[in-house]
Amino acid sequence: MKFFTAFRKKSPWILHYNAGSCNGCDIEILAALGPKFDLERFGVINTGNPKQSDIFLVTGPVTYRSRERLVELYSQIPEPKVVIAVGSCTATGGVFRGMYNVEDGIDQYIPVDVYVPGCASTPQLIIDAIVKALEILETKSKEIEKPFKLFGAIAMVGNKLSRLNMATRVKHDEI
Amino acid sequence: MIWVWIALAPILGGLVYGGERVLRARMQRRQGPPVLQPFYDMFKLLDKRTLIVHAPHALLGVAHFFVLWFTVAAIFLGWNLLYIVFLHLFAQMLLILAGYSVRSAYSHLGANRELLMLIAYEPILILVAVGFYLQSGSFDIAQIVRGGGYLVQMPLLFVALAMIVPIKVKKSPFDVGEAHQEIVGGVEIEYSGLFYEFLYMSRFLEYIFIYSFVFIFAGVSYGLGAALVAGVFLLVNLVDNATARVRTMHMVKIIYAVALSLSIVNIMWIVL
Repeated sequence: MKFFTAFRKKSPWILHYNAGSCNGCDIEILAALGPKFDLERFGVINTGNPKQSDIFLVTGPVTYRSRERLVELYSQIPEPKVVIAVGSCTATGGVFRGMYNVEDGIDQYIPVDVYVPGCASTPQLIIDAIVKALEILETKSKEIEKPFKLFGAIAMVGNKLSRLNMATRVKHDEI
Repeated sequence: MIWVWIALAPILGGLVYGGERVLRARMQRRQGPPVLQPFYDMFKLLDKRTLIVHAPHALLGVAHFFVLWFTVAAIFLGWNLLYIVFLHLFAQMLLILAGYSVRSAYSHLGANRELLMLIAYEPILILVAVGFYLQSGSFDIAQIVRGGGYLVQMPLLFVALAMIVPIKVKKSPFDVGEAHQEIVGGVEIEYSGLFYEFLYMSRFLEYIFIYSFVFIFAGVSYGLGAALVAGVFLLVNLVDNATARVRTMHMVKIIYAVALSLSIVNIMWIVL
């Protein structure tokens, strides 16, 4: 409904996922949430639960071990949702670009709305990114958004939509 | 008039929750979210796509909210205190069943912890009710609030009640049921959108429920009651900001060793 759309930007709940980061960006995210930068004044809660989140905050280049979880978490977030790639690794692969165990950036797997540069990106930049992401969140619809890879079909069970197979596992011979 | 208050109970609780988030932020020298933040959250949740695991799971969450609302209504109407404690127990059982009804390991863990919390605080609530009965000669709240002097006769029961308030409103050191990032919300984990909203609102009602127990300790003097509630509210938030979470079994042990023995000593002192 149109009336409730205005409240999307007033209570963004964050899901933070570390897709193989060195923890540099994670510490900066926690600093942004902590007392000094106080992201909570925008109504932000770090939920840790994909089913109740609006903003997917990802750090780290996607390693082969973490990509299934990344897609799984992404497909569990109910729409509308936005994805923020925090740090150089997450945006392009950074210093790990082209390495054998790393996919170059999360946009190989899921659609990204905001890229945050920096190694590690500063809390100010992260807050900027979240404010920008809120603008995007307001324009989004409730249509289902799909990951690019590791994507199974959205099936109909009875007359209900099932997301059970939306994220698929990597087959062993693909690695 | 009383029906208006009953209808407004979730909104009242929401304001308390919003005010509490501001208070906690100020204690940490932060600005904190606006007071109306819980309502913004609720409106946003209405605008999300809702994912349901299975229908009974969603229904149990809704039932939990409405039974809790009925419990709060019973308090406002001045019904029997024992009924109210057991109605609340029923509401919690619905929530625990909801936790066990899905296959998520975190949900089961949360339901286990919710059961242990129940085991910890339920005897204290019943002993507080018994204490009121011994003092006023009736279990009816309407009768109890006509008397007075409870604080003088049952100080240890009041301390015991103040110890279980953090369990009920999920504050440190006894916030094992929710345990933010540790078990990501426990029984709440599989709820989303519209149905999570009911659980979110039932948290507001928990505030009204437990603080009304604190309130009736003042008896006939409503001013003293408000002061008691404000005092316990400040204390609980101060302790929340200053302590870390204890382990679940540790919590049960602390409550049984300290709060339960304090209550029993107090009851014996009244009887003898």
